[in-house]
Amino acid sequence: MPLKWVLQWQPNPGTTVNSQILAEVSQCVEGINGVKEGRWKATLTYYKPILRDQAMSPEMPRDFIGMSLPEQPSKYYFTLRSHRIVVESDVSVQNIMEKLQSYKSRVALIFEGFQYQLGDFQLRVGKVVPSHSENLRGIVMEVEYLPISSLEKSRRIMEEFIEIWQEALSKRSLPGHFIHVEPNFSEFGLSDHYTSQHTAVQYATVMAQLIASAQAVSTVRN
Amino acid sequence: MECVVQGIIETQHVEALEILLQGLCGVQKERLRIHELCLKSSPNLGAVSSEVQILCDLAQPEPSWTVRHVGGSMRGTGAEQISVLVRPMVESKASKNVLRFFYALGYKLDHELLRVGFAFHFQRGVQITVTVSSVNKMLKLHATDEAVPVTPGMQLVEVTAPATSENYTEVVAAVTSFCEHLAPLLHLSKPGISTGVVPTAAAAAASLMSDGGGTTL
Repeated sequence: MPLKWVLQWQPNPGTTVNSQILAEVSQCVEGINGVKEGRWKATLTYYKPILRDQAMSPEMPRDFIGMSLPEQPSKYYFTLRSHRIVVESDVSVQNIMEKLQSYKSRVALIFEGFQYQLGDFQLRVGKVVPSHSENLRGIVMEVEYLPISSLEKSRRIMEEFIEIWQEALSKRSLPGHFIHVEPNFSEFGLSDHYTSQHTAVQYATVMAQLIASAQAVSTVRN
Repeated sequence: MECVVQGIIETQHVEALEILLQGLCGVQKERLRIHELCLKSSPNLGAVSSEVQILCDLAQPEPSWTVRHVGGSMRGTGAEQISVLVRPMVESKASKNVLRFFYALGYKLDHELLRVGFAFHFQRGVQITVTVSSVNKMLKLHATDEAVPVTPGMQLVEVTAPATSENYTEVVAAVTSFCEHLAPLLHLSKPGISTGVVPTAAAAAASLMSDGGGTTL
């Protein structure tokens, strides 16, 4: 499958993300001749252990992520970052987790927005919102390069594209920029050939970044 | 949900059973070699203790993995009156690191088995699967190549069919009616209620072997 990079919006220190930025980013994609193709949506759920005795020091992970991706609607992905594990399974595995009653799904976040075609690239710009509210938590952008599946072979063209994109966006003087934090895929047992498991690991990394920056903002405020 | 019945047969009659099943199902048998790992939750994990099965299908050129959860069987007078066990069952295919994932979540290996035999999958109003297998235990952890039979000379026969809360009575009827065809060779009942081998097995097997399953039993 074609490889993609998942980027996230990094607000400048002292600023927060807002829907105006999301609108400007979308306009910018259209400004560089991105053709709007339709909507996309991915769902991310945090699973946390149910412990009988909270006082007992848990040998269990604090949490792990479950994710459904639009590119593989019949599949579900678990990412356990602390152990560098990503598992691909059928959607019915959610039902198994529910029956086991050992981990409870806590926060669900939705990534949704529009998809654009731009030559050999497919772009998806989306907001990050909790499932039961419209509170904007972040902005993500997927850059997919359709002709290639190798991460290494596509690296240069991806970097060049991102450079052009950042330049186009910089003209709008927005209070922040997109960053790309590439996980060490080999630590998760993933090869250079791109799969949806790579996507799941990238989203888990984006979430870790989002949480870290949210914590940094609240530390500054306090 | 699934409907399930089990029975046992002496290994010497398995060939006859295979001929009979071949005639009844009209499909080719599939080779069965499944490594079954049963995991239990750590003492402190979960509202209640839980069990999950991780199955590795070794009959495929590339082993494939499945996670399975089997719930408590249906209870009440209705359930008692039927001869088939109806229980919740959920399965999901998974990537090969699923065992490592469940270990990381706090599940521990309780026991492991190797099932070796064959299976028939066919339609008889509903989707039915018959598996005939010898159940083996491992003397060393994960040593599937050195597995030894738990009950030498005996094989386990299992008839299962997926069901829903809407159609299970229909599925139970289909499974019950199918089991009647096997009655001369073996008796099938709810798991845990062993009825042993049937006295007619040897004669029925001899008859099947002599005419290749052409005779209606």
